[in-house]
Amino acid sequence: MKHMLKYILKRLLIMIITLWVIITLTFILMINIPGSPFNSDQSSNETVQANLEAHYNLDQPYYIQYLLYIKSIVTFDFGPSIKQPNQTVNDLLSRGFPISFELGIITIVLAVISGILVGIIAALRHNGFLDYLTMGIAVLGISIPNFILATLLIQQLAVNLEIFPTATWRSPAHMVLPVLALATGPMAIIARLTRSTMLEVLTQDYIKMAKAKGLSPWKVIFKHALRNALMPVVTIMGTLFAGILTGTFVIEQIFAIPGMGRYFVESINQRDYPVIMGTTVFYSAFLIIMLFIVDVVYGILDPRIKMHQKGGK
Amino acid sequence: MKERKLLWILLVMLTALFLAACTANEDAGEPQEGTDTEEGNGEDGEDGEAAEETPDLDGKTLYINNGQEPASFDPSIGFDQVSWDPLNNLMEGLTRLDENSVAAEGVAESWDISEDGLTYTFHLREDAKWSNGDPVVAEDFVFAWKHMLDPETASQAAFLAYYIEGGEEYNSGEGSADDVNVTAVDDKTLEVVLIQPTGFFLDLLTNPAFFPINHQVAEETPDWYAEADTFVANGPFMLESWEHDSEMIFAKNPEYWDADAVNLDYVHFSMVNNTNSQYQMFQTGELDTASIPPEMSDELIDGDDVFIGESGGLEFYRFNLTEEPFQNKKIRQAFSYAINRDDIAEYVVKQGVEPAYGFVSPGFTAPDGKDFREENGDLLSFDPELGKQLLEEGMQEEGYDELPPVVLTYSTSDVNQAVAETMQNMLSENLGIDVTLENQEWNVFSEAQQNLELQFSRSSFLNDYADPVNFLESFTTNSYMNRTGFESAEYDELIQKSKSETDEEQRYEYMYEAERMLAEEMIAMPIRYYNVVVLEADGVEGILRHPVGYFDLKYADKAE
Repeated sequence: MKHMLKYILKRLLIMIITLWVIITLTFILMINIPGSPFNSDQSSNETVQANLEAHYNLDQPYYIQYLLYIKSIVTFDFGPSIKQPNQTVNDLLSRGFPISFELGIITIVLAVISGILVGIIAALRHNGFLDYLTMGIAVLGISIPNFILATLLIQQLAVNLEIFPTATWRSPAHMVLPVLALATGPMAIIARLTRSTMLEVLTQDYIKMAKAKGLSPWKVIFKHALRNALMPVVTIMGTLFAGILTGTFVIEQIFAIPGMGRYFVESINQRDYPVIMGTTVFYSAFLIIMLFIVDVVYGILDPRIKMHQKGGK
Repeated sequence: MKERKLLWILLVMLTALFLAACTANEDAGEPQEGTDTEEGNGEDGEDGEAAEETPDLDGKTLYINNGQEPASFDPSIGFDQVSWDPLNNLMEGLTRLDENSVAAEGVAESWDISEDGLTYTFHLREDAKWSNGDPVVAEDFVFAWKHMLDPETASQAAFLAYYIEGGEEYNSGEGSADDVNVTAVDDKTLEVVLIQPTGFFLDLLTNPAFFPINHQVAEETPDWYAEADTFVANGPFMLESWEHDSEMIFAKNPEYWDADAVNLDYVHFSMVNNTNSQYQMFQTGELDTASIPPEMSDELIDGDDVFIGESGGLEFYRFNLTEEPFQNKKIRQAFSYAINRDDIAEYVVKQGVEPAYGFVSPGFTAPDGKDFREENGDLLSFDPELGKQLLEEGMQEEGYDELPPVVLTYSTSDVNQAVAETMQNMLSENLGIDVTLENQEWNVFSEAQQNLELQFSRSSFLNDYADPVNFLESFTTNSYMNRTGFESAEYDELIQKSKSETDEEQRYEYMYEAERMLAEEMIAMPIRYYNVVVLEADGVEGILRHPVGYFDLKYADKAE
């Protein structure tokens, strides 16, 4: 228990330092990209530009701006977005994240469950028809970019067949197409990973042993084989979770889903500094926590990995 | 064992979530399959399947797309099309553009202009009201305009109000709010004093930046504009609901003085920012209007449901006069003669755009009733022979044996790239000049252009108000919009006169002359005019789309 606590504290400290490094690097990058949030094709003049810069503290020396950013992060208040001054960055994130999260969690559940099942089936039917079929589809799923799949799905299922609505985010029916478009890639990756590790595990001695003991095939697969076969899947889950749950720019744009994916891309194009900082901090914190959880799950799945050992290194 | 339990719980939870998602989807999917939505032009759909797809509004509803979330509904702050379009339907200024795109009576039912053209006295309608029932009073305008000019507000539109006495001083921090010469004489009389006669002042007032703000509401709720609950409108529609980043619903405003003229009960705004998706929504009847995706232009542009209108704006290329070889006028002219604008408009940009042989786009009516563009005629032409000759002369003047290398820069986009490549070809073919192409991310590009770091670069201009001088004044010495290094006292004077001359005909003469001078000096090379291309579903009519300004749904209708 003491080890565990020490390990967690240590990890927390490392997490905070990592976050600080990310924030600082982002800030340095941010002030070094040319351009300003107030550049536009529309008419303007110097006074107006000066007022705008003063309003957003952009006329302050960089160290002051940096301190202001650090302050905003510590107090969890990033101030208003420059491009949507109606809204604070907190508004944007707290409104967009639940939607991205909802889309993401459905996607992940679908991808993980079907991916693992397909992987197992393919492994059990190794070199059989089902194996080739599912893996063939999986290769397609990995190779077709999700935005192309999304457009295809809309054209076929929404425009031609009129089964599902085209875009926007209103009812459960609106979720089907984006979830399918988004889940296919990860599903294929998980299926292939599960299959290959499953094949490896199935030849291990302890599986033969389990079979020899007379355990039912189900028990052998789900209790003994799958547990070890899932290790690589868990490894990619951390990044997958963070990536999908915080929104995906292209899919959200195609389906007009008001998630937070767009802010990652648009804030940079628009030089919306508070939003850049807000999204970066949010995403990095989320990713770091996810990776931490993955490490903990490792420990549960594989008793050989002892947390305090890892921490002690 | 504990761990295994945890795993099982996790697994069960995931499965439950998955099943929930599945069943939800199936439930939602099924009833739709049964409904026949052939052709689905939105109307039949509304009772059946569209209820699922689009919020069911009881009444005549127009479904349109705003592209994205408006920057702000604070009239002083929202300085872009996605804010202006909705705002123009929620609110109304002293003047409002009529069917002929002329500034006509809005909240003001009449006005007097003093002899010297400096003092405007507006008489507000007795029955002009806010959606909460308050009367629209002169103080609302005073409040709004001073709010716009307050340096603390940091309004991007503030420079538009510099025509008002004391406006620039207040905005730049040198004066105070009290010095801004706009006064509420009484509740229904507003007096404004300008720094110089400004022939287009009434046009200027149609810009949302000059809309009134209900000062009582604003004093109580400073961020009244941020949510539907607190928003007060004085236009044909009011803000019924606003789900940020997602949708807005406008309802007919019963308090509007001209409510009888309004046909629609509701307007539903989606925020779909993908040209393909919004077109697909138009196909399924989820939207009543849409734009044409660029790659489908050839296929759709000639359709019956396409509205093509003028839009005050110009795509052009700027020469940097501070960099070789463009200090030489003849070389600049040679470049312009080598460009075949017809081909660029028809085969590269497509979308029904018009090539530009002048600077001021069509759609500005001169006092004699003729169009500015027609009156001043074609100022440029495609003439490779003349181009070659001018290039030779220019190179001789500068003593060049070989033309210094030219880099053509544009901001990254497919269409910009296509135009740039075409120009590269034309320059090579017609003048034997090999220009290098370079593209930059928009914001980097914009900054470099502003700092005169680019040699020959793409630009675009969209009018803020409906007067030719809006574009022409960009090129005065020291103008923030100049970005060419061009300096000419003569041109500055012409523009000054174009802004302050009280005789409208004479004022237009000055502008014609200024435009001719621009063409002669060739500091900027026009390519094509902007236009508006919109698909409109059957039965949709009466949407006013002005060359300069924002669409107006006041008279819009939709056949049931």
